Amino acid sequence: MKVVGARIPRYDGVAHVTGRTTYVDDVRVPGTLWVKALRSPHHHAGITRLDTQAAEEIPGVHAVITWQDVPLLEYGHLSALGIPADEPLLAKDEVRYKGQPIALVAADDWEIAAEAVSRIDIDFEERPAMLDVRQAFDPESPEIHREGNWYKHFEDEMDRRQIRKGDIEWAFEHADTIVQGVYRPAAIEHAPIETQTCQVVPEASGRLTIYSCTQALYFSMGVVAAHLQVPLNKLKFVGGTTGGGFGGKVDTATETMCALLAMKSGKPVKWRWTREEEFLCSSTRAPWHMELADAVTKDGWILGRKMLTLHDAGAYSRFSPYGLTKHSFHHTGAYTIPNLQFDGYVVYTNRTPTTAMRGFGVTSVSFATETHMSRIADVLGIDPIEIRLKNANRIGDTSPNGIVYTDPSTVSTIQTMAEAIGHELPADYRTMTSEPRTGALLPEHLVAQTANPEEH
Amino acid sequence: MNLTVNGVTHEIESSPLTTLLDVLREELGITGAKAGCHQGGCGACTVLIDGEPRRSCLMPVGYANGGEITTVEGLGTVDDLSPIQQAFVHHYAAQCGFCTSGMMLAGQSYIAHGGSDDAEAIQKALGGHVCRCTGYSKIIDAVAAAARGDSFDLTETAIGKHTTMATGGAE
Amino acid sequence: MVMDAATEVLMPSSEDEAIAAFGDGTDVLVVGGGTIVVPELTYRRLQPSRALMLGDAGLSGIEKDGSRVTIGAMTPVQELVEMPAPLGPCAANVADIEVRSQATVGGNLCAGEGSEAPRGDLQGAFLAVGATARSAAGGDVTEQPLEEFLAKRGERLLLSVSFEEPAAGAFAGLDRPHTHDYTALAVSGARAADGTLRLAATGAGSWGARLPSAEAAAGDPAAAGEAALEDVSPHDDALASAWYRTKVLPVLVRRVLADLKEPA
Repeated sequence: MKVVGARIPRYDGVAHVTGRTTYVDDVRVPGTLWVKALRSPHHHAGITRLDTQAAEEIPGVHAVITWQDVPLLEYGHLSALGIPADEPLLAKDEVRYKGQPIALVAADDWEIAAEAVSRIDIDFEERPAMLDVRQAFDPESPEIHREGNWYKHFEDEMDRRQIRKGDIEWAFEHADTIVQGVYRPAAIEHAPIETQTCQVVPEASGRLTIYSCTQALYFSMGVVAAHLQVPLNKLKFVGGTTGGGFGGKVDTATETMCALLAMKSGKPVKWRWTREEEFLCSSTRAPWHMELADAVTKDGWILGRKMLTLHDAGAYSRFSPYGLTKHSFHHTGAYTIPNLQFDGYVVYTNRTPTTAMRGFGVTSVSFATETHMSRIADVLGIDPIEIRLKNANRIGDTSPNGIVYTDPSTVSTIQTMAEAIGHELPADYRTMTSEPRTGALLPEHLVAQTANPEEH
Repeated sequence: MNLTVNGVTHEIESSPLTTLLDVLREELGITGAKAGCHQGGCGACTVLIDGEPRRSCLMPVGYANGGEITTVEGLGTVDDLSPIQQAFVHHYAAQCGFCTSGMMLAGQSYIAHGGSDDAEAIQKALGGHVCRCTGYSKIIDAVAAAARGDSFDLTETAIGKHTTMATGGAE
Repeated sequence: MVMDAATEVLMPSSEDEAIAAFGDGTDVLVVGGGTIVVPELTYRRLQPSRALMLGDAGLSGIEKDGSRVTIGAMTPVQELVEMPAPLGPCAANVADIEVRSQATVGGNLCAGEGSEAPRGDLQGAFLAVGATARSAAGGDVTEQPLEEFLAKRGERLLLSVSFEEPAAGAFAGLDRPHTHDYTALAVSGARAADGTLRLAATGAGSWGARLPSAEAAAGDPAAAGEAALEDVSPHDDALASAWYRTKVLPVLVRRVLADLKEPA
């Protein structure tokens, strides 16, 4: 093997240390116009009047775009996964989050662009905002999304992601105790050192050259082509260099709008978000609300788990249904729990739409699961590492979504970790393996599952 | 006014109130120093003025008059990397690379002032620089290596230029 | 984002020229090191018709005349770091070494109120050493207690601050795990050569404040800590809540008083 275990150079290492790496803002195209956005100052409001005439007449302003300039206003980025479009590229009759882009200006310089944005005539009719996922189900709460306040996963069949496995009632009847916990990780801003930046050049051939910091070049190309209703070969994406993304630069948040401005003005344009815009208006990792109730025996077996997840998608769906699906498949973490009742909702709020961030959907449930394991250990008075080893996934165990484990390394990982931190384990825990459960590691309640894993 | 950058003197037309960062990037087209926040909070804009690290996004260019400014482009070239650049390549201290210029210039100044390979001292010297990719440990390793004077061989590989420790042995 | 040429830039090369350029302070933005003011200009939150850049006006430097120390307004904050408490540790707590080297004592003391964080990290420390401020407005140069200057700091051009070296000094601040931030909350204390005790807080209100109630109760540090709350009106901001500040202030007062009791 020439590569595994060998020291391989970063192909961009030398470019990075010599300042030769070209990020989008380093691209210099003479005559480039400066872009600035008019963004919603309200969490939730109707737009009763939008008139860009005064802005367009300012000398030095070359283009102003609103929803009317967008050939296909709503395009579902993950429509291939069945998630329908729900987000307008630019706001039309309403705004649903503070910072939502309404209109964009391309002008000779910063000053003129800012002046133009301030002269756009706009009237709002404020509406009550919903900012807490827990209120979504209250009939008194405002309806903030045309689908209602949460994503209807399966049209009229089911309004959530649901997993049912085994017999949860049996588990709760036979538990020695029920351990509950509520876990609410907050939103996290990716905060890449490079803010979102895009440069678009309209070529004489009629094509558009788009310099993008996207993490997903071909994906973004498809999104832009769909909004513009043009064939893919009209676009030339230049990218692959990002000053940090971490999941926050997949939303194609700037490319389409810059393309429209370049087309309308006939000139190159550049949009560079300020650090403030990056913090306040760019998508974040979602906040989650997770409630767990585990049916446990006093010797540390987890018979069953009930779980409710409310995922805060913000104002629009984007990739949230996909994130919740992954989350649901991993809701038992590294451990085998044969009886499950999981319900997960993608809830809309009047907050900035949320997106992927390293471990999309799964970091939240890992946090909840691991913290909950420690909590169970504490309640039962059992060593927190031993309880993990006991319940750890082994060959022949199954995941929440019915995958049979063929090669889990949970046991060896935990043992290695215990040794590394100097935590002494009893002999029988030190010698555990990932081999299929037998003897003391095969309690009554796991017999059926391990005998017929395909059916569980 | 005049501005001397990496040994070359330029006549500047921007107002003295324009930030040094914007003069470097917009007027002179020297883009090695980066705009991360435009408020002095991240260190991506750091350049050396007479060998001292300064936030170019906070400095009116009028205050840089008469100083010798060094940007990352002045540290070394692809075929002649300075020790700190070699150390950053060898230790994989740059991932996205956006903070790298500021980190190396601050590290360079630290070493020029006699800084050692002590991790805590390096952390303190570079404390104003934010990196979102590496978790900092490789950056500290690279500055420590350069402080020690570790030497490297630069070789061409099929994938790109790469450094190995000249004295052999483990990294 | 090149600066609009419409702003007239004044760069005096002496103290007298600076005083003349400042005039009565109306319609002129004073630029010290720039660390606070330049981002305001960059983001167009400030759009002055005239800007007074003090970098060449010869206002930098630390002079000692016996036990009297005079610090020029354009002295970089970094130059205070090695001084004894409270000034040294207070200065060391400001941002990071690069920003401290660009920030100036004058710029820090004269900072306007910030909406997201308290400004003027050094105000508390200089109040504690009983500093006086030499400043100019309308061509007239005055020296006055720092408290008086701070109340009108937008109207006068700070030239220097002076103080008698104290017999003992102490500083206790809310430590942040990283650099960059303004001082969330800190208490400075000093005992002058004549025995006078001064305590001052930064971050417990809009700007640095003396703690006379705490000074009066200094014999009993616990009581002094509680008494300090009468002298301040902390508010919520991005760094800390008012509630948190009221909980921590008495602790910092007690620590400073304990440090001042130790023989130097």
